[in-house]
This record gives sequence, structure tokens and C-alpha cells, in this order.
Amino acid sequence: MIGNSVIRKEAWDKVTGAAKYTNDYIKAGTLHAKLVTSRYAHAKIKEIDTRAAQTVPGVRAILTGEGLPLTGEDLRDRPPIAFEKVRYHGEVVAVVVADTLVQAEKAANLVRITYEPLPVVGSPREALKEGAPLIHEQLGSYQKGIGTYPEPNTNIAHRTKIRKGNMEKGWAESDVVVEANISFSPSDHAAMETRCAIAEIRPDGYIMIHASSQSPFMIKKLISSYFGEDVGKVIVHTPLVGGAYGGKTPVQLELLAYLASKAVGGRKVSIWNTREDDIITSPVHIGLEATVKLGCTNDGYLKAAEILYLFDGGAYSDKAIDVSRAGAVDCTGPYHIENVWCDSLCVYTNHPYACPFRGFGHGELSFAIERTMDLLAEKLQMDRLELRMKNAIRPGHTTPTQVLLNNSNVGNLPKCIKRLRELIHWDDWQRIEIDARTVRAKGVSCIWKTSTVDTDASSGAILTFNPDGSINLISGVVEIGTGTKTILAQILAEKMKMDIKDIHVKMEVDTQTTPEHWKTVASRGTFMAGRAVLEAADDAIRQLKEIASIVLRTPIEDLEVGYGKVFLRDDPTIYVDIKDIAYGYKYPNGNAIGGQIIGLGNYILRHLTYLDKETGAGKPGPEWTVGAQAVEIEFDKRDYTYKIIRAVSVIDIGKVLNEKAAIGQVIGAMSMGLSWASRETFLFDRYERVLNPQLRTYRPLRFGEHPEYVVEFVETPQIDAPYGARGAGEHGLIGMPAALANALSIAAEVPLNELPLVPELIWRKKKGEHHGSI
Amino acid sequence: MVPFDFTYHQPSSIQEAIQLFQTLQQQGKKTMYYAGGTEIITLSRLNLVFTEAVIDIKGIPECRTLRFDKNYLVLGAALSLTTIEEANVFPLLSKAASEVADRTARNQITLGGNICGQIFYREAVLPLLLTDSDVIIAGKDGLKQLPIQQIFQKQMRLHPGEFLVQIMTEQTYLSLPYRSIKKRKQWEVGYPLVTVAALKTNEQIRVAFSGVCPFPFRSQTVEERLNDRQLPLESRINEALHHLPRPILDDIEGSAEYRLFVLKHTLFDIITELEGE
Repeated sequence: MIGNSVIRKEAWDKVTGAAKYTNDYIKAGTLHAKLVTSRYAHAKIKEIDTRAAQTVPGVRAILTGEGLPLTGEDLRDRPPIAFEKVRYHGEVVAVVVADTLVQAEKAANLVRITYEPLPVVGSPREALKEGAPLIHEQLGSYQKGIGTYPEPNTNIAHRTKIRKGNMEKGWAESDVVVEANISFSPSDHAAMETRCAIAEIRPDGYIMIHASSQSPFMIKKLISSYFGEDVGKVIVHTPLVGGAYGGKTPVQLELLAYLASKAVGGRKVSIWNTREDDIITSPVHIGLEATVKLGCTNDGYLKAAEILYLFDGGAYSDKAIDVSRAGAVDCTGPYHIENVWCDSLCVYTNHPYACPFRGFGHGELSFAIERTMDLLAEKLQMDRLELRMKNAIRPGHTTPTQVLLNNSNVGNLPKCIKRLRELIHWDDWQRIEIDARTVRAKGVSCIWKTSTVDTDASSGAILTFNPDGSINLISGVVEIGTGTKTILAQILAEKMKMDIKDIHVKMEVDTQTTPEHWKTVASRGTFMAGRAVLEAADDAIRQLKEIASIVLRTPIEDLEVGYGKVFLRDDPTIYVDIKDIAYGYKYPNGNAIGGQIIGLGNYILRHLTYLDKETGAGKPGPEWTVGAQAVEIEFDKRDYTYKIIRAVSVIDIGKVLNEKAAIGQVIGAMSMGLSWASRETFLFDRYERVLNPQLRTYRPLRFGEHPEYVVEFVETPQIDAPYGARGAGEHGLIGMPAALANALSIAAEVPLNELPLVPELIWRKKKGEHHGSI
Repeated sequence: MVPFDFTYHQPSSIQEAIQLFQTLQQQGKKTMYYAGGTEIITLSRLNLVFTEAVIDIKGIPECRTLRFDKNYLVLGAALSLTTIEEANVFPLLSKAASEVADRTARNQITLGGNICGQIFYREAVLPLLLTDSDVIIAGKDGLKQLPIQQIFQKQMRLHPGEFLVQIMTEQTYLSLPYRSIKKRKQWEVGYPLVTVAALKTNEQIRVAFSGVCPFPFRSQTVEERLNDRQLPLESRINEALHHLPRPILDDIEGSAEYRLFVLKHTLFDIITELEGE
């Protein structure tokens, strides 16, 4: 069962269109909300005139920002609806609720807002300049969580410091030093299903939320905490989610749906993002400006790293603080460096506010580190993979936050590099001129990632038996397209030695009846929920054996469970069928013992700590997945256009649980990474308005534009994980931008340290000047 | 969602369509002709299009024509771009049309809609400009036939109530050597940085452009410069670039200077190949 390419449990529903998503649950009588959003990136709200809008037939309520609590996961800096001023283009200024969506839209078009524009902040570096406009004047007074350090009277929402070793010593030991600046703007997740939420407040006070979310349990906690509702009275339903990629971790529309329902006496209200709102109003993929300085010996051993990460958190810090923290935790990339200085800042700008994106800060930091590694190799005149091999992180080394690595908590990076080297025929050529105009080049990148979830994040599982001995598997993991719930069924089938078709997976999450899985994020579903399922299976097995021992009159120790039976270890012909005891055992005279078997399990991450404020020391996550990646391109030296020929990943995922699912995850992530790196970005005008909030002009990679994908796995088990499996949902993305930029830099013979890598960027760099207009 | 109500009308003849337009206008209704509808649907939801009535011309047989008549190819304005692409009776038009939007959209986008629409690339007009095609326009005084060059100046200069019925292209043009190249910001999907369509007739090369300026065009001066074979090709191209209409597009697809860089190479490739044939 383990390793088999089992078809997803929900596959048929998805391919036939029968699968239901959040917005499919709208029933007659549901009211509809339309968001009125800001046309300015930074402005005072002088007046909101809703009189004309109120006259539209069917309008039930128009909500504005006064009197609402501030929200935010780490730092409460965001009013759910803008109040007194707007801080980004697309920010919600009013919410119109009406009987139909058409009426709501008509009325929304009639809401007149008078603004007084304010000077805008267009990048983290601008935000940090002396005299830059303050985006949050009240930063010092905001409520904040443990380990969050805003700097009042600046645009710095949070700073994570890494101080490891002795920098003076590091630079003294360095013969060769390089420094690089890299940058890219925020972009979008572009999930197929736009974000949506439905809320209803029942007469008995129960708040029913349906949401397309990675965090149904967080929605429940946050609505309770922001608005003083009883946490048990908030019930969140999350059916299948049509793509999330981190964009559905923040809690935004759910708050608006709740407020809207409250404004109309608790009636059911649906808020469903248009594509445009989804692109800029809801949280976006973070941008970054970075300076990386690396020092090494003449023979290529890294001795010092000084790193400044300026994450573009946008107008509100929310989850961006955590992303900037993750950037610090793994700031060096997967390399052994004894002396590390890193400041990773979450900076406010007047851009749409940021949230996690597949890879959680790691694709971003890897672009900075891996570009610098290539520049270092160039300066050393050393083979690029050799430099990476020499410095590859291994057991016995420590991470930037000073976690000691061992054979379980880190994968085998040297083995990944070695295999990559063979797969891409690295030693044959790395840059080759095909003809006068065409050149081929290979770029490489190494990756690593741990999770930085809450130190007390937990996951639970419930197994209930049916009268035929089949099992219902209930877990709080949201099926966001990763197939995790099928993997959980495989883990259970393996453990129970049963047919996977007899495992019924509950796809929907209902926070009242589903045990909590903290959030479906950070490639932690299989690990945490898998551990919980194994514990629940042990619990069920114990109960099955208990009853069977009575029925079969044997000690419990002599029994084993499997193949639908509880049988004697030494004589399997003596057994009782699970179906005859799953609902209690009935004796011939009618007496009964036992009852329905219900297996319970949970798992809480262990030994995680907060990071020390001054040094960053602490344990952020349970393990590091590592890997090595490459991109091969064909470049046209005349036009600066290029094709991606091949993209390769070798990732140590500990144990392959479902081969095709794992390959699918990695290829999907690689494709997202290449799409981001090659073409995805927001384009801003000088007022920091997003010029391309539409799929017409924001164009992710499409079918037919893909290269050949090659994926291989290395298996170094994580001892405490289910069957040794490591996280694998995000890692394929992480090295793609850097590998592509490295390949293109080699081909074009010019350093390319910005994204996206469109031919015009290469043209501009080759020309060595800024573009002008004619 | 389209945030306003409108009435939908499907006439079955040209006459009926024209009358409908007049009636609706007399009722004070803002009225639009409707073919594929992709722009009306996608732009109205952004409040960039407003109408109170649409007249769908797809039910008019003349607008669905695809036939040869004497020495002319006659194409109905309501033919979808994929229909034209697949019939492939006008290879240059097939090629230019096949690069517009994506397949799903092209199933819907019509020849007339692409030419008469708001989105200013209107790449399907380039082959028509190169072949001196005629257009059949319906209006309240009946049908009229005009050279495309006369009525298409940056955009179709139609009077209120008029609509494009057909395109007529002389058959002799259909087999001439041609090229059509669309260059985008990145790869296969997106608006043009530049689209260049070219046709060779009597050793002269005709060239029409989209994406260079905020309108498609064919320019006599540009063609004269490009065909001035006394000069080396690079000089001819540089001369031609100096005589392009203004402004050069400078937007999120690409800067003006970069567009000219791309255009220079595209022209070089096209002319080199066509002059070699």
C-alpha cells in the first residue's frame, strides 16, 4: 500500500464535475455581498456617500469601517473594512449586501467615496528611507503576539535577527567575498477557485461559516477572538478547495461575511471574489528586496554570510510577518555556514498585503542565496555544483537558528546533488553554443525547507467503524488538491492491513465534528495528520483486540489485526471477523459486549520553541526536506528570448508514500515556480496601483508552454514521521526561480537578479541602462 | 457578472437588423451590434462597456458566408476566428487569426468583432489591409462596398447604426507569399509586443502592424522605405522605424524602446525571408 500510486479518493468527483466547492453551497434565499474597493493605494477617506446606493431595490445593508476591531494574526493592524484611510489599491472600503448579486453590484457602483490622496510607498527600500510616509502611524499601539517586534514610527512591522557565530572571524577567514542585490515585486497565487465565504448567524447564536480556506479552525478561533463570540458557537465548513497555495491561509472574507450577516439580522450572506478582487483585494504573494554577502576560502568553503531580507509585506502585516520569520530561519539556504548575520524585515508598503505562497518565503530567499552562490562560483572559477556540494548542509551541522542536525531531521543533500549531476549530464557541458544565435545553458539551485508553524500546532484524527468493518476516516486536513486525504487512507490501510476501498474518507471539514488540524499548510498534512491517524489506528486495534480476546478467550497479546479479522498470531484459522465486533459482539443468546469502535488519535509538534529575539536561536520545525534542482534553457542571443527545455528536481522526501501523487506535487510546484519566475508579477503605476489585476494581463504559465519535467526522489527516512515520509508539497517550487535565473545569466552573460525573467529584462540588462520611452 | 440589464435581439436579415437598431434608438436605448460577445461580456463586468440592447448578427446568413464569388473570397463578419482558421482559404488571415487570444476565446471571437471591437490590437485587420480588401457595410440606406483602407483608419469608421457584413478579398492575393509574426512579452499567450503581417506582390513587400502603436496600421511611407532596395536591409529598416506613426506603445506589455528593438528584428526576419522567395 505504501508507495503505490493509489488514485485519489475524490478523483472521480473532480473529473466528472460532481465535486462541490464552497460557492456550490449557495441556496435560495442567500443574500449576496459586493465589495467596494479603493482606487487609491494610499489616501484619506474624506467621505463615503451611500445614499444613491441605498435606493437600489434589494439592498439590505451597506457596511463601512467604523467601530470594527483591528485584526491580524501576529499583529492587529488591519481593520476588516478600511477606516479613515486606505493603504492599498483594492482595499475594501464598503460592503454592499443585497438580495441578488446584480443588485449588490449595481449598488456598489453607486457608493461615492471622496479620497484625499497621500504620498505612496512603493518598495521596502523606499519604506525604510528617512522621511518616508508612515503607513501605520499607530504601530506602537497595536496588539501583538509573542515574538512579534514592530518598530513604532517606522514602516517596519517586524524584524527577525539571526546572530550565529562570530562575523569578524568569518570575514577574516574569507579569501573571496561577493555581494548581490536581488529584487522582485509582489504577485498573485492565481488559484482556479477564487476565494469565497458564506456566513449565517442562527437565531440560537450559532455562527455557520462556509469558506474556501486552508484554515477553518483558525477562522473559528479568530472570529471568536476578534468579535467576542463563543468559540464553540462558530462552526466552519470547508469542502474541497480549488487550489490555495498559501493564499487561503489568511482569514479575510470570512470576517466580512460574518459582519455582513450580522448586519442583516443573521441571514445567510455570500461573498465571492471576482477574479480582479481575488488578485488584489485578497492577500497576495510577497515581494522581496535583498542584499546577500557571502565569504568563502579560496577552496570554496563558506565562512560568513551577511543577509538583509526586506520582505514587501504590503499594507498590512498579517501572515507576512511569519513569512519574513521563515526567511530568517532558513536564510542561508542549505549550506553549512558557521558565522551568520541576518536581519529579515517585514516592511509595510502601499502594496496589496501579503500572505504565504507555496514555499513560504523559501522560493524567495533561495532566489537571493542561489544567485549569490552562482556569483561566488564565478568569482572562484569553481564548478557551480562542486561549490554547493562542498558546502551542503549535513548531519552534525547547525542551522541559522542553531538547531543541530542529525540523520533524521535533515535529508541527504549531497546524494541529491550527486544524482542531479548525473541526470542533467552536468559534466558534459554547462553552456554550449548551438549556432551563431543560439546557446543552451544549465542553471542549478539547492533547496531546503522546514516549517515554521505554531509551536503547539496539533492534528487529530477519528476513525469510526461501519457495520461491515469498513472505516470512516475523519481528519481536519483540508483537501486543497494535494491528495493528502488519500495518503492518510493509505497510511491507515497499511496499518490495518486492509483494502483501501473499505476506507471512507470524509472530505469536508466541519469544525464542530472534525478534530482540529491546525492549518493545512507548510507541507505538514501527511506528517501531523499521518501521526494522528496512526495513533487512532493503534487505539482502534487495541479496542478490537480487547473484544476479540473475550470472544476468542485468548490473551490480548496473542492477537493480531488484519485482512478484516482479528486472529491468533500462531493460528490464523482461529479468528473473529472485524464486522462482527466493530459494532459490539452479540452472543447467540442476545447478550452483547463492546459497542461501535471509535479510534482516536492526535499529534502535537514536539520540542518547538520561539526564536530568541536577539540571536534567533530556537527550534522552528521538526525536519528539513532538502533537494537539488536544475533548469536547462535555450537562449536566443539576438532577441533575448528563450525556451525552457527541461526542469529537473531531485528531492529527499524520506519515503515515497504514493509515487504518482508525489511526482504530481513536485511537478505542479515546479510549474508554479517557473511561471512566477518567468512571467508573474504585479505591475504598478507611480501611484502604486496594480495595472494588471486581470488574467488578460496577469498570465500564468499555460498548457503548451511547459518544459519537460524530470523528478526523482532520494529516501532518507525521518524517523518520527509516518513511514519516514518528509514534507513534499512545496519543495519543487523553491529552487526554480534561482535555477532559471542562473541558467539565463550564464547564457546571456549578464547577472539577472530580478524577477520575472522576461526577455525585456534581459535586453535592458544587456543594454546596461534603464528603459525610456520614445 | 454583467451589472446592468439589456435586451437581446436576434434578427434573421440585414434589413431587420437595421430596422431594429433604428427602433431601439428611437426608444432612447443605447444599442450595440453583437457578434461573438467576448468584449461585451468581459468589459461590461468591469463597467467599460454599457448597453441597453444588443442586436446579434449571427442569425443573418450574409454574416455567416464563407464562399468564393467570381474572383473574390467573401467572408462573413460573424464567422468565428476558428472557423476561418480551419477553413484556411486565406492562409495569411488564418495565421494572423490563429494568434489572437486563445483557442476557447477564438471559438467565440468573430472576424468582424475582432476588427470593430474596442481592444485595439485588431490583428485580423492586418491581412485585409495588405490585400486591399473591400468591406460590405450595412446601414439605413442599404449596403455599400468600400475599400478597407478608406473606412479603417486606426479603427473602423462606422456611422451609428451601421455594421460590417462581409469582407471581400481578391482571389489573386490569397496565394501570394506572406509572413505573419506575433511577438509577445513572453511565449505563447498574451497581447502583442508587435505583430507584423507581410505580403509580397510584384516584388514589393507590403507590411501591416499591430501592437506598435495603439492602433493597427499600414503605412505607405514605411513600405516605401522598406522596399528601397538601393540600401542595405538594416538601413531600410532603420529608415522605416523613423517613419512609424506615433505614439509608439509604452505600456505593461513592453516599453516603446523595447518594442522597436523587437520590431527591428521581426522586420529583418520577415523581409529577408520574403525577398528570398
